[in-house]
Amino acid sequence: MLPLALSDVAISFPGLAEPVLAIDALSIPAGGRLAVTGASGSGKSTFVNLISGLTRPDRGTIAWRDTDIATLSESGRDRWRAANVGLVMQEFHLFPGLAAIDNVLLPARLAHAATAEVKTRALDLLARVGLSRPGQSVETMSRGEMQRVAVARALLRRPGVIIADEPTASLDAEAGAEVGRLLIELADQEGATLIVVSHDERLTERLGRRIRLAAGRVVSDTALEAAR
Amino acid sequence: MIRFVLADLRRLWAASLVIVLLVALATALGVAVTLQERALRLGSARAADKFDLIVGAPGSETQLVLSSVFLQPAALPLMSGDVLTRLTADRRVAWAAPIGFGDNFSGYPIVGTTTALVKGTTTGFTGGRMFALEGEAVVGSGVDLAIGAEVKPMHGAAGEGGETHADSAYTVVGKLQPTGTAWDRAILVPIQAVWHIHGLGEDHHEDEAHEEAGGEEHHHGHIDADAPLVEDFSHDVPGLPAVLVKPKTIADAYALRQAYRAEGGTRAVFPAEVLTSLYATLGDARTVLMYVAYGAQALVAAALMLIAVIHVAQRRRQIGALRAFGAPRLAVFGIVWLELLLLVGIGVGAGFAVGYGAAEFLAGLFTAQSGVRLPVEFSHSDALMAAAFLAVAALMAALPAALAYRQSPVEALRA
Repeated sequence: MLPLALSDVAISFPGLAEPVLAIDALSIPAGGRLAVTGASGSGKSTFVNLISGLTRPDRGTIAWRDTDIATLSESGRDRWRAANVGLVMQEFHLFPGLAAIDNVLLPARLAHAATAEVKTRALDLLARVGLSRPGQSVETMSRGEMQRVAVARALLRRPGVIIADEPTASLDAEAGAEVGRLLIELADQEGATLIVVSHDERLTERLGRRIRLAAGRVVSDTALEAAR
Repeated sequence: MIRFVLADLRRLWAASLVIVLLVALATALGVAVTLQERALRLGSARAADKFDLIVGAPGSETQLVLSSVFLQPAALPLMSGDVLTRLTADRRVAWAAPIGFGDNFSGYPIVGTTTALVKGTTTGFTGGRMFALEGEAVVGSGVDLAIGAEVKPMHGAAGEGGETHADSAYTVVGKLQPTGTAWDRAILVPIQAVWHIHGLGEDHHEDEAHEEAGGEEHHHGHIDADAPLVEDFSHDVPGLPAVLVKPKTIADAYALRQAYRAEGGTRAVFPAEVLTSLYATLGDARTVLMYVAYGAQALVAAALMLIAVIHVAQRRRQIGALRAFGAPRLAVFGIVWLELLLLVGIGVGAGFAVGYGAAEFLAGLFTAQSGVRLPVEFSHSDALMAAAFLAVAALMAALPAALAYRQSPVEALRA
């Protein structure tokens, strides 16, 4: 599990005077739980992109334990993300024509990291997210099942942190609740730090801490009593 | 990666099939032209192999070779029969045989010649025997006549209308082994029969141009089917269109050609030499066709680039997602590159097969018509051509692959 420390981070887009996101200081302990909320355009997606290393800030440090990913090259961030981040997005980004198990293994295979142990783990993870047919083609699955495949994929390489961007927004209430439950349960079991960007109250209220973004700034930071 | 590429191609099978077809057709065009030209060259060279030196009357050297070696119907001028008399007596000559045309039967040319020529240019009989009487005939392997069949000669070259020599007929007594030459489609008869049927020989009508089909003024004679074979050309030989000469040595060949080229009233040619100049023309035609093929290939390549670039743009989200979930950039490059190269590779392979098939088919048609067997075969240079195609494809596939490589995953996912 990884602790996160942001300091003096800012990122602007060309043509915009104000930075899209500016965070002076934010830290999450290893194994911590964080919910991020905010209206659309508040900088939530930029936040996800920054802490997952998809984009680099204009300034500041984004330190996951000892690694400041703001200083890494694009390929370096790709490698770091592949090894340390389990990403779950609103869109599942599964690849049609491949079976569930092959979708789970795809990023690892492309990175030449699919050892026999990793393959066994992929089957195990599919079972743990409640999918009994690893050979099933993903386009024949329900949306809830697809997102569960995506969760299994995120966890494959034992990431130190799970970052979920609106993981339940495209699901119905029941499937959303199931995916939310799985995320928290698996993060606990795997000992991963969990950061969830979501509007879904039922999901965010189960996390230990909630920050709210507005116009690119952290406007509230609440510890939630009702966690778990 | 391979598994992903294959799953991807299977999902996009229709588009993939179209790309493979495009590449295959463009490749096949070039392959067929190359193979066909090579087959024509090899086939004609092999067909002329046994024809060392041809002596005929002055005129077109090319026509002399086409008519004697390839039995192409044409009116050849005649030379004096004394030429044959002198050639058979020449110390430098192993054997010399007259070649007399003029008649045909069911589209097969009837060629008057000698046993020496039949023995010297063929490998033997598949059935029957050599002609021994004036009314006997030997047929090539490509002639659809059984031994014992009756041949009623039609006056005139094959394919032209003509009158029959009503009272004359040959009997097929032998069938030759295939030689892969135009002579496989010929009916070979004793030269004396050709002379007799046209009223030559005994009456010394040496100046008569007996090839002129449709001429009304022929002195028609008939063959004496049971007359014994006479192959003595020491005197009173009628006019002849061509004589095939087998010199004893290469030096003799050149000396003979010199002698009969300088002499008035004759012309001596090495068929191989005439063919070489024809090959130059053939080569020019091939060059033109190859440029056409290259043009088609360039068009297909350009179309393919367009498809690939559009395809990469359409799949930016997917490519971005691959990167976001931890696929290395090089893997993304590799996937796009490999997919394209695989399609082009299959296309080139299929193109070689289709091109080979097309060349075989055309060669088959040509053989059926002329009797000359065209060997359609690949050579080392074809492997080079295939390698060059794939190398160009590998380079070109790198462009869309580089586009995918450079694409930012964030921008791709934001869309």
